[in-house]
Amino acid sequence: MKRREFILLIGGGLVWPAIARAQGGAKLHRIFWVSTQSEPDPFLDGFREGMRALGYVEGRTVTLETHYAPENPQALRKIVSELPRGDVDLVVSSGPATRVMTAITDVPVLFALSGDPVALGVVKSLAHPGTNFTGSTFLSLELAGKRVELLKDLYPKLRKLAVLSNTDHPGEPLEWRATLESCRNLGIDAAYVPFCGAREIENGLMAAGKVNADALLVFPDAVTLVHRARIAELAIAHRLPSMFGWSEYCDAGGLLSYGANQRTTYFRLATYADRILRGEDPSDLPVMRPEKFELAVNLKTARLLGIDLDMSSILFRASKVIS
Amino acid sequence: MTDGAAQSSSCTMPPRRSLFCKYFATLFVAAVVPLILGAAIEASFGYRDQRRQISAVLQADARAASDRIEAFTDGIRDQLGWMVQLPWSAGDDAQHKIDALRLLQQVPAIVSVSLLDETGTERVFVSRLLLNRTGRGIDMSTDPAVQGARGNKVWYGPVQYQRDSEPYMRVAVAGSLPAAGVAIAEVNLKLIWDVIAAIRIGETGYAIVVDDSGHLIAHPDISRVLRGRASSGSFGRIKHLVGAASGAAVITGERGNPVVALSVQAADLGWTVIAMQPTSEAFASIRAALWRSSILIAFGVLIALALAYWRAHRMSGPIKQLEEGVERIRTGQFEHRIKIFSGDEFQQLALRFNEMASELAISQQKSARIERLKQFLPSQVAELVEHSHELLEAQRREVAVIFGDLRGFTAFSTRNEPDVIMAVMRDYYAAVGAVTTRHEATLIGFDGDGVMLLVNAPVACEQPATQAVRLAIDLQMTVQSLAGRWCDAGHAIGFGVGVAMGPATVGTVGYNGRLDYTAMGAVVNLASRLCNLAKDAQILADPTIAGKVRDSVPLASLGQRNIKGYDQALEVFAVAPAMLPLKPPGSAQRGREKEPQDH
Repeated sequence: MKRREFILLIGGGLVWPAIARAQGGAKLHRIFWVSTQSEPDPFLDGFREGMRALGYVEGRTVTLETHYAPENPQALRKIVSELPRGDVDLVVSSGPATRVMTAITDVPVLFALSGDPVALGVVKSLAHPGTNFTGSTFLSLELAGKRVELLKDLYPKLRKLAVLSNTDHPGEPLEWRATLESCRNLGIDAAYVPFCGAREIENGLMAAGKVNADALLVFPDAVTLVHRARIAELAIAHRLPSMFGWSEYCDAGGLLSYGANQRTTYFRLATYADRILRGEDPSDLPVMRPEKFELAVNLKTARLLGIDLDMSSILFRASKVIS
Repeated sequence: MTDGAAQSSSCTMPPRRSLFCKYFATLFVAAVVPLILGAAIEASFGYRDQRRQISAVLQADARAASDRIEAFTDGIRDQLGWMVQLPWSAGDDAQHKIDALRLLQQVPAIVSVSLLDETGTERVFVSRLLLNRTGRGIDMSTDPAVQGARGNKVWYGPVQYQRDSEPYMRVAVAGSLPAAGVAIAEVNLKLIWDVIAAIRIGETGYAIVVDDSGHLIAHPDISRVLRGRASSGSFGRIKHLVGAASGAAVITGERGNPVVALSVQAADLGWTVIAMQPTSEAFASIRAALWRSSILIAFGVLIALALAYWRAHRMSGPIKQLEEGVERIRTGQFEHRIKIFSGDEFQQLALRFNEMASELAISQQKSARIERLKQFLPSQVAELVEHSHELLEAQRREVAVIFGDLRGFTAFSTRNEPDVIMAVMRDYYAAVGAVTTRHEATLIGFDGDGVMLLVNAPVACEQPATQAVRLAIDLQMTVQSLAGRWCDAGHAIGFGVGVAMGPATVGTVGYNGRLDYTAMGAVVNLASRLCNLAKDAQILADPTIAGKVRDSVPLASLGQRNIKGYDQALEVFAVAPAMLPLKPPGSAQRGREKEPQDH
């Protein structure tokens, strides 16, 4: 018998805390949800769902305090500075709010970004954030070009593409640039239809209808997500094949969407929230990236638009078909 | 006395290691050692069995994980194989692209596929993220993937971490016909997570996958993989430690806790699957058994302590009592009694002790009485009392024997009433006794009117001959003065004395309860004969006496006489009349009345 091992066996005994999923004590965790969007907030719903799935009960083991400052980062800055120090366990920010959150250094901050968190300066690297920030990035930038290509695959006659974009969204210029480059490669004219925030969405929609494009590309973002049904309606009304970022748009009548699954993303964000509440250091939690991308197709919309999907490779490539 | 005091004080000092401690320790050890030994052996065997079992479980799980990972990579390889079945011909890029897109749909882990023609030029590139490309593209013939696939049909690239976080690997497959070209797929290894996360060993055991250089490829906690190369140090160590062991090894796990781990190599890839389970869980059953044993041992120890204490106390208590008793006896408290009712040998011993104490008390009383008595006794007697044992032992020594005998006693006794005879005898015996005592001689006994005295035995004296003669003279004078009184009363009684000296055997003779000190030997007979020969008021001595007292007492030789029992005539001496008081009248008459007596 190896004596050292025997002693090790007698003396040892640490339980794997991540796997042993005991409920995190009776403590009521306080989470701040900070967003520049306005309610209803689909991201918050996704996060809530994730927390519920992990066994958190709102009001009993966790409280989610929402702080919205629609289109007003300055107001958000005020909220951040007034953030009661010490008794907030976690701040979750989505979208542009993250930019404002950089002022926070003593409370862990979880983000869900379309853009690159390293470029934004909130983490040092994806593998080792090294700060109080961590979260997930959607790889929107890389997918922007891919969406144009998919639209072209579906609708080879595409010559002019209207691009509806919320300029209030962080990383929007980069996304637009990636889209523009992709359009150029594919021989498509891009008609930029910018709008700023929820207030201007109506203007944006009107403008998109007027550019006389062959198709419509909508950047994924909370504002367009909230107004997805109206956008899809507009696209059908103008007989525009439409391309979105998330499958929720397709559920609402959008023709195509390509991007990471929101539910998965927010579920994972909730997993990180759980781990941080259990005491793990956010600086050690690598920034997550989606590895699965959904291509959703709405057959009903396709029929309405008179597009013959059988002719393209889209149908067999689709991971989600809505009929 | 100082010596004795020191000794006694050293005796009363408490012993360094008491009997209680010894008994206690022995009994305790006797009870506890087998208990502990048994538990230890049990635990060690249990541990071995458990370890063997864990080894088997880990082996099976690691093998299963390895098989699934191989299935994962084999799936990719086979799917890529479909891409390179047909040779390239002009204008079928579009068809190849469709195939490649299908492949992406089939295998979620593949991020992008490049299809190369026989020259190594990219013809089709499809990706989930990047724009697809068709038509002649870049020349990749020098790419290690192409070269590897051409040489070996299948090539697995090294694990690379994209942006130092996500693990990727390139897999290349060459067609069986060189014209079919090469298909290269970029694989996101995060998707192996599903394979690894599904493996649960017990409650908290899990499996991980590391590559040849110890870089983490798959872990149930995906964030560990996403940390990229930075975490490879600890996993490289684990891989090394586990790889070095033949079976399951107990090592320090990634969280610093001890784990039982076992590794299995995944063929083709050079990856290692390590299945591990924290020892806290793996050996939970043996730990529980150890706890049970420990509790039992603790219980046993307590019982052993109590029993040993009780036993040792039962053992040492009576001994202490006895010791105390002995101490008390030593200080003279003979009335002390030991009370032990243990029903065993100790009780028996206490009984004997008490008996001894009572006998000692009696003996002490006797000796005290003798002590008291000794104050009133002559020193010889005192000595005799003290050393009676040695003195009274049978021994051969030079003694002086004195015989005295009344003359005319037979006639007197026939003529007189018994009470008159008794009165005379009483006077006579008292006088003889007084003289004997005065001269520290030994009265051997009266024989009617005769008396036998011994000098130099059992108590020795300096000049036995002189003393014997002086005694004889004193005796003769005393009895003669008595005889004078008897004569006045009308009783004609005389007294003759014989003294002889020589070796004799002296000692006590007799039987139980009746012992006499006496002397045996020719000298006794001689003294008796001389006494018979002696006339009234005469003291006859043998030549030995005469020779020894010549200087102090004048003796007159009576010449050679025949003595009964002696072949030759012996010179007989008489104490000079000058030494004797004047003879009362009628002494000659008294002497004639003496009947010859034999001794």
